Amino acid sequence: MAASVTRPALSSLCKINSNINGIYSLTSFSRRISISSVLSTSAVTTETEAAGRGVRGQRRSKRQAGEPRTERMTVDQDWTAVYPTAASFKPSAVPLPVRMGYPVKRGVPPAKKGNLELIKIPNFLHLTPVAIKKHCEALKQFCTEWPSALDSDEKCVKHFPIQVQSKEFVSAGLSLRNPDVRIVTLKVKLSSLNLDDHARKKMIKLSEERYCKDTDTLTITTDSCPLRQQNYDYAMYLLTVLYHESWKTEAWEQEKTRADMEEYEWEDSPSQKKVLDTLLRMRALGAKDEVEEGTREELLGQPAVQEYRDTMLRLKNEGETEENLQQYKEAVKKLFNI
Amino acid sequence: MASSCSQALRHHVCKSSRILRVHLQKAWPNRSFVLNPAADQQPAVSSPEEEIVIPKKKTWSKEAVLQALASTVNRDPTASDYRFQDDPYLTPKTSSEFKLFSLSQESGRNAAKYFISTYPKYFQKDYAQPHIPCLMPETLEAQIEEVSEAALIERIQMRKVKAAVDLYDQLQQAGTPVSLDVTNQLLDLICFYGDCDPAQENVPEQRNEETEDVQDEPQTKKGRASKASDKLKAAWKENNNAERIFALLSEPNTHSYSALIRGMVKYGAYSKAFSTYTDLLNNQLKADVSTFNALITAAPEVKEKYNEKWELIVDLLKQMAEQKVKPNLLTLNAVLKALRRCGTVGKSQAFPVISEMRALSIDPSLASYNHLLSIFYKPGAPFQGQTDILQEVMNEVSGKSFTPQDPDDAQFFITAVRICLDTKDIEQAYRVHELLGVGENWRLLGNDFQQNIYHARFFSLLCMMENIDVVLKWYRDLVPSVYYPSSNVMRDLLQALDTDNRLDLIPQIWKDLKQLGHGNRQTLVEELLTLMAREKQNQEVQETFAECALDIKKMYDTGDRGKVMMSWTAGSLSDLVSVLLAAQRRQDAWEILKLFKTHNRVPSEELLDKFLTCIKESGDVNQALELVQISAGFCLPGTPKLIQRVQQEFLLSEQQKSMLSDLEIQTFNSD
Repeated sequence: MAASVTRPALSSLCKINSNINGIYSLTSFSRRISISSVLSTSAVTTETEAAGRGVRGQRRSKRQAGEPRTERMTVDQDWTAVYPTAASFKPSAVPLPVRMGYPVKRGVPPAKKGNLELIKIPNFLHLTPVAIKKHCEALKQFCTEWPSALDSDEKCVKHFPIQVQSKEFVSAGLSLRNPDVRIVTLKVKLSSLNLDDHARKKMIKLSEERYCKDTDTLTITTDSCPLRQQNYDYAMYLLTVLYHESWKTEAWEQEKTRADMEEYEWEDSPSQKKVLDTLLRMRALGAKDEVEEGTREELLGQPAVQEYRDTMLRLKNEGETEENLQQYKEAVKKLFNI
Repeated sequence: MASSCSQALRHHVCKSSRILRVHLQKAWPNRSFVLNPAADQQPAVSSPEEEIVIPKKKTWSKEAVLQALASTVNRDPTASDYRFQDDPYLTPKTSSEFKLFSLSQESGRNAAKYFISTYPKYFQKDYAQPHIPCLMPETLEAQIEEVSEAALIERIQMRKVKAAVDLYDQLQQAGTPVSLDVTNQLLDLICFYGDCDPAQENVPEQRNEETEDVQDEPQTKKGRASKASDKLKAAWKENNNAERIFALLSEPNTHSYSALIRGMVKYGAYSKAFSTYTDLLNNQLKADVSTFNALITAAPEVKEKYNEKWELIVDLLKQMAEQKVKPNLLTLNAVLKALRRCGTVGKSQAFPVISEMRALSIDPSLASYNHLLSIFYKPGAPFQGQTDILQEVMNEVSGKSFTPQDPDDAQFFITAVRICLDTKDIEQAYRVHELLGVGENWRLLGNDFQQNIYHARFFSLLCMMENIDVVLKWYRDLVPSVYYPSSNVMRDLLQALDTDNRLDLIPQIWKDLKQLGHGNRQTLVEELLTLMAREKQNQEVQETFAECALDIKKMYDTGDRGKVMMSWTAGSLSDLVSVLLAAQRRQDAWEILKLFKTHNRVPSEELLDKFLTCIKESGDVNQALELVQISAGFCLPGTPKLIQRVQQEFLLSEQQKSMLSDLEIQTFNSD
């Protein structure tokens, strides 16, 4: 068997050695191989091997493959010992009769032996529930105790409103480093920050698309620095700066126009003016002119007008729905006493 | 680092939990939870009734998590060694294949290292993050060329003995004084390597740098045999470089004497070592602990009688105490090793020595226990009531994890299991095996050769002492993932099967035997056949026996391919025929019977009787007649009886009757 194994090795070495200057390297390799072939003369393995060495001709008996180790596996074996880490699918080590692949015409999917499809796909044979349980037990010693006072989600959010996320990557390769590990994401709910109305609106305006209205969360993702520590510091710095800036009021903020407003305000809006106008005209048909000022407040204070205001606000801020439009219709009808 | 990693993963015994380094560090709190800066609250107190206590963050070493996860993994009893590819075609099935594959891997690695070191300019780019220094090319040639002390230091560090000595001579001739420290280092180098250049590990024979002294060994051979022969070949030569340089020293200090003495002891110049020691005393210098260790090792060589040896050792120890040199573990081991050669004196003095050393807070290592066991259990000597020493030793060492502190630590397990085998003590053997699973002790089992010895002895003991279920359990556990048994051990296994009357497992064992490469060992195969043929088993078992027997027959038929491995004997052929007959395979048995003639073997009478009985059941008269003719052809004395039986039991035609009577007359005449 030694001869049958080493001959092809020697032939491949011949091809390599043609590129290397110096014949003595070839002789040294051949000497090493011949030394190792001396080792196997002590125990002749099979008849085929003996025949192979006896007949130095073209007929070289092939080394037989042994039986796959699935034959020797007991039913209650420790599977975590067979697949301790992520490894490709080994048909001789997995005792399951799986089939995979496109079936040939009127046939079945090919069996697992030599099946490239099974090897290509990722498998989780190393992460059976038993394995995960064992790993968790082993990793418990690295963990500290959860603070007993934080026993519900609300308390966690209440005491620790800022969440910082970062990822770790593990892979086998030339390098341990992964550039994505520097990305830091910071999430905070604006309701937990101490903001008044102006500050809140300014903060939202400043953060643009980082603010999500549905969940009231500000998300800051930083990846501009090369290290995670630096990105974390930068994210905290951004939060601090946003907060303080939003509390300040600059001189030019007075020039905020109606187009810059986030919500629709009814005061001083064209709608209000129109309603006033209409009501005054309605009134003016019937009675004499009174003092404008008082009339205004009085008119505005009427419940119908208030209702109209509410429905108008609802329509503009929340969008047009069936319900809103119905309510608007009712309000208008009441306003004009229809 | 790659090789150390591979050795770190070499364990095939169940491990207990590893020791991890987990530090608790003070200061800085867990940074994943930070409070609202504007609210300005302390994280510790939020409301009066609850206090949120954030525990301090733990830190650990870089490999601690991986080690913790690795501790959950046990050995897979069906897998072969981790070094090999896990494929039924590529895993080694016999012990010679195992050796071949592991050596070829090593040689490939060495070849790669050779290329990287010889052409370093092609391998400068460093891909690995973080940097792995052992994969980069290493410099084989000394860089500093000019004749200076720095060049000498460099050559010493690169272990180039001859070059260093030459450079030293050049320095002396040039008149530059070489400092005592550097000279001491040079002396260390020369004495350690015995004045020859060490055989380079990774480089195949470099003819241009070789001298005549370098042994032309294959560098990949790792057995103990090569190291022993290394030592034997190199002996301490007269007036070699070490002595010469030592003589040139104007004021040799303790270190120089120590180097010289240790070199002499290592290479066999024992009496010289002692005379150098007397020189040292005459110069009113003190010796250090390693000098004393070397002298104690040399003591048994210079004296003949047991008590003289012991007195010399005691004398040395007393001088050690006078010079206020503290003994260490190697002293204890040296004394115990010397006591091995001291016969009965050794037995009486061993325990006092250990207790004295214990009082000096030197704990014995596995090597000390090994020497202790060797003192009391000499191989081949009968044992009289000393069995409790092994038990005491095992009580001492059980449950402890040992680190390698002495080269002889690796002998402990082999010695212990040898003693268990000789005293037939299975309990202690189990304890020894258990000790192997504790902590890091698997490292102390030695290289592949020693592991093979250990497992061979352990398994033989099991076969002898335990019942077959336990033996089979261990067999399935150890073979062939850890241990490839030799044919002797397999014979022990067969005997164990025989003792417990589980002969039905023989076909399975035969399959394993074929795989292990013992399928063509004549004695083993013949024993198999005998065991199968001895008693008649029930029907299914007999069927399996018949299949197995036919398979065995194939092993004999190598005639068409070249060499014939095994030759038939009369006994093996008879057994084969009996097995086939018992399974009612008359046709196959008939073929085998014909083989008697071809191989010139004579069948026995009982065999032919049995065959006749079998033929009678089927009633084939012609075959019966042929059988009688065969018997007559061999001129067997039992032929007349056979003829009578055939005449009585079979219904014969006239022709057949006449043929039989002719034969009868023939045999009668020949008698």
